[in-house]
Amino acid sequence: MSVLDALSRELGEARVGSSPGMDGRVRPGSGEELAAALRVLAAGGASAVVRGSGSWDALGHPMPRARILLETTGLLGEVQVDGEDGVAHLPAGASVSSLGEHVRKETGGAWELPFDPASSSSTLGGCLATASPGFRFGHPRDVVLGLEIALATGERVRCGGRVVKNVTGYDLAKLYVGSLGTLGVIEAAWIRLLPAPEKTECWWVPLADPSQAVEPARLPSARAAAWLSAGLAREIPKPGAGMILELAGDAPAVAADAEFLGRQYAADPTDPAGLGLVRAMRGKDPGVRVRVSARPSKLKESIAGLSNAGAEILAQPARGLVWAFASDEAVVEVAGSAGDGFLVEAAPLAVRESRELFGENPALRPLQAALKAQYDPAGTLNPGRFAGRI
Amino acid sequence: MTQGERVRPGIGELLGSPADDRRIAFEGAQGISPWQARFILLKGTNPLFRRGRLGKLLRYPRWVATSQHQRNDMGPSSNSSSLEAALRDVVGSDQVLTRPEELFVYEADGLTHHSARPRAVILPATTEEVARVVKACRKHEVPFVPRGAGTGLSGGALALADGVIIECARMNRILRVDPGDRFAVVQPGVVNADLSKAVLQHGLFYAPDPSSQQACTLGGNVAENSGGPHTLKYGTTTNHVLALELVLPDGNVVRLGSPTGWPAGYDLVGAVVGSEGTLGIVTEATVRLTPIPERTETLLGIFPDVVSACRAVGAIIRSGLVPAAMEIVDRRTIEAVEASVYAAGLPTDAGAVLIMELDGPAVAVGVQAERTQALALAEGAREVQVARDEEERQRFWRARKGAFGAMGRLAPDLYVNDAVVPRRKLPEILEAVCAIGDKHGLRLSNVFHAGDGNLHPNISFDRRDADELARVLKAGKEILQLCVEAGGVISGEHGIGTEKRDYMGLLFSDDDLDAMKKLRAAFDPTLTCNPGKLFPTTRFCYEANPKARGYDQVPLG
Repeated sequence: MSVLDALSRELGEARVGSSPGMDGRVRPGSGEELAAALRVLAAGGASAVVRGSGSWDALGHPMPRARILLETTGLLGEVQVDGEDGVAHLPAGASVSSLGEHVRKETGGAWELPFDPASSSSTLGGCLATASPGFRFGHPRDVVLGLEIALATGERVRCGGRVVKNVTGYDLAKLYVGSLGTLGVIEAAWIRLLPAPEKTECWWVPLADPSQAVEPARLPSARAAAWLSAGLAREIPKPGAGMILELAGDAPAVAADAEFLGRQYAADPTDPAGLGLVRAMRGKDPGVRVRVSARPSKLKESIAGLSNAGAEILAQPARGLVWAFASDEAVVEVAGSAGDGFLVEAAPLAVRESRELFGENPALRPLQAALKAQYDPAGTLNPGRFAGRI
Repeated sequence: MTQGERVRPGIGELLGSPADDRRIAFEGAQGISPWQARFILLKGTNPLFRRGRLGKLLRYPRWVATSQHQRNDMGPSSNSSSLEAALRDVVGSDQVLTRPEELFVYEADGLTHHSARPRAVILPATTEEVARVVKACRKHEVPFVPRGAGTGLSGGALALADGVIIECARMNRILRVDPGDRFAVVQPGVVNADLSKAVLQHGLFYAPDPSSQQACTLGGNVAENSGGPHTLKYGTTTNHVLALELVLPDGNVVRLGSPTGWPAGYDLVGAVVGSEGTLGIVTEATVRLTPIPERTETLLGIFPDVVSACRAVGAIIRSGLVPAAMEIVDRRTIEAVEASVYAAGLPTDAGAVLIMELDGPAVAVGVQAERTQALALAEGAREVQVARDEEERQRFWRARKGAFGAMGRLAPDLYVNDAVVPRRKLPEILEAVCAIGDKHGLRLSNVFHAGDGNLHPNISFDRRDADELARVLKAGKEILQLCVEAGGVISGEHGIGTEKRDYMGLLFSDDDLDAMKKLRAAFDPTLTCNPGKLFPTTRFCYEANPKARGYDQVPLG
């Protein structure tokens, strides 16, 4: 019996179908079905590409061994929003935008879901698996309290919990977040919500020198800060390089910071829609998109190097993040020496086949391979996708 | 409402210098109780202090006589003498401790009713020495345990199975401070509060501030993912560690993470922080520094009972305010504090006090403090005092920070439990916790991080009374069960160590624990790095026979 037949028998025909370029796809509708699907795949020696909404399909090395598409968008289990405690239990398959709306509604606008992905269709599971940094909320790992995971061998496990402070056992949530679905499939998560700000304003700060963007990006009420090179700035549209800055918080604090921006940087209020356009740029795919980690003091030097390689730049100055958008792979070479690490987020197939896309310490490869071997000994989940092609 | 001067390290300085702290603790008791004496010893971070003052402390034979340690000494063997020679070759003879009076101080950490004498204690000074020590231990198949200041409260720094302690006290340098990029690179033996003092001149501080911050070290903080009163706003250690240098259990040295905190591969820093020293030995940490807020307001709410104080915490959280800290001190603790050298002028007729601290931009904090004050009064506070200056702020905090020291007056030993519940369940849980203490006839008091839902039921007892010790442990387990049933967890900041390893099953299934063991196996397949911690071992029921320690001898992992 083929793996697809076995999946049909185990989960029902409605859960299994065809997928272009693959042998087929399976879309479990619950954690139990997900675990059952993984057991079938493991028993059949098959491998799967784990996929949420598909916003990050171009991330990672190609996976020729994986012939089944495992879609997580059917994982739409229990939603539980605790407005008294400021936490929520959310299913991995739901879109972040729909969950965010649900949280707002359930809490009367008092709390918000701390994710702002590039695509409105991004699933919670996808945001966590890619650890994709948004503009407003920093690293996703910092708001994950607990996870429910289906391991490659079909066991359903959990780590962490629903409380805001917890050192009970290993913090496996940190390991799973950002592991690109190579160690397990996220079913659901307990997320720490953030109080909705009393006041929000958007400002445009004209700054040709990105190193000067660090100070305003560190203002107490600065929630989102994106510095754009001239080419990208024109898309929002602004006449030259500068930073779009979202201030959020208590009204007096926002007013004080806004006054400072106007006085010190000749900044002007701007349409908040501009931030949405910038957010969407994160999904822009001009050929090669590389994320570089660059500490604030090295920002100017890092951006200069990447720009010289023909890249347009989007940066979060205070968080030490730079995105370079370029039409050819020369920018990847530069990224290696432009900061403290890099990740090629999108690139043509040939580049993803030939280059290492995860610019991190090669000395860690044995440890990372050991982790993969422990959690996914048969290489069932996204085999070859991650750093070092594990 | 006045503006308090904002100097974050000031809180830690309430207790004065470590030496003053020790003096205070000495003065606070009639002679040295076992708990206090061990705590004082454990708080020493300078090996010279430990070794130089040891003789003085050992003049108190009562403690020595009552120490119920697990005797690991297997007697001389060619294996141990060969290992000892190898270790002396690495660090020099004077940095290898093997005499009983030297090992005595390392038999326990802050969880004094768990003890195990190490085979030896090694004090390396460099990463290379740590790596060579680890390799020597592996070669001789002897387990090893990293140790900071020994202030941990879960038995995590005990050397089980005749192991060697690798003490990081000599690796105590701040290697680099980068105020522009807001990070510091430190060795593991740097004392937590010393880092904040060192970066104060740059207008920065290191946010995690465990109660033992005057003594505990950053290496230990990383191992335990330490929290503290200001976790509510600033997060725990894991939110402030960017990169690590780690000696793996096979002796190889790796660097994890980056100064920006955005690794491209697996988040190994996140996995190592809080792993209780079981995945390797941290020899260098790059930590985030935080700007000192422009303004701080500290409020002291005086409540008729602890339940109404808990309700006030819930109301403040629901309102969307994020105070820097919200700490509750109950009546029994207030009485102990007010009778001690830590007396802060708290009303002893209060059922509880709630310390509320807000910080941030000057223009916002005043308004937040007023809202907080109104919420506390609405929930039944009979009075809310606002610190008029830094001196008064320190007075408020003295009641909180001095609580554990003050409890030394109540009994020779103190069992500090640690669990977390959803914040909205605090009122009912606190009532139930107190009922458990009463049921077992125990002196139970509460001083805890209410804003995080992180309980610390403290039981004062005398471990020489076997019946009382058994009741303490039984109550401890019941409290943990209660918290788990309420949707909570069994540790918020002390870790599992040996203390709670056999309670992990209250929260996690076998499959959950197996998933954790996979992480352990990837780092330490031979299970030689701090064995016997965190995972259930057991066939014996600890509380049924607290003296039965046979399970420490079974294979550990």
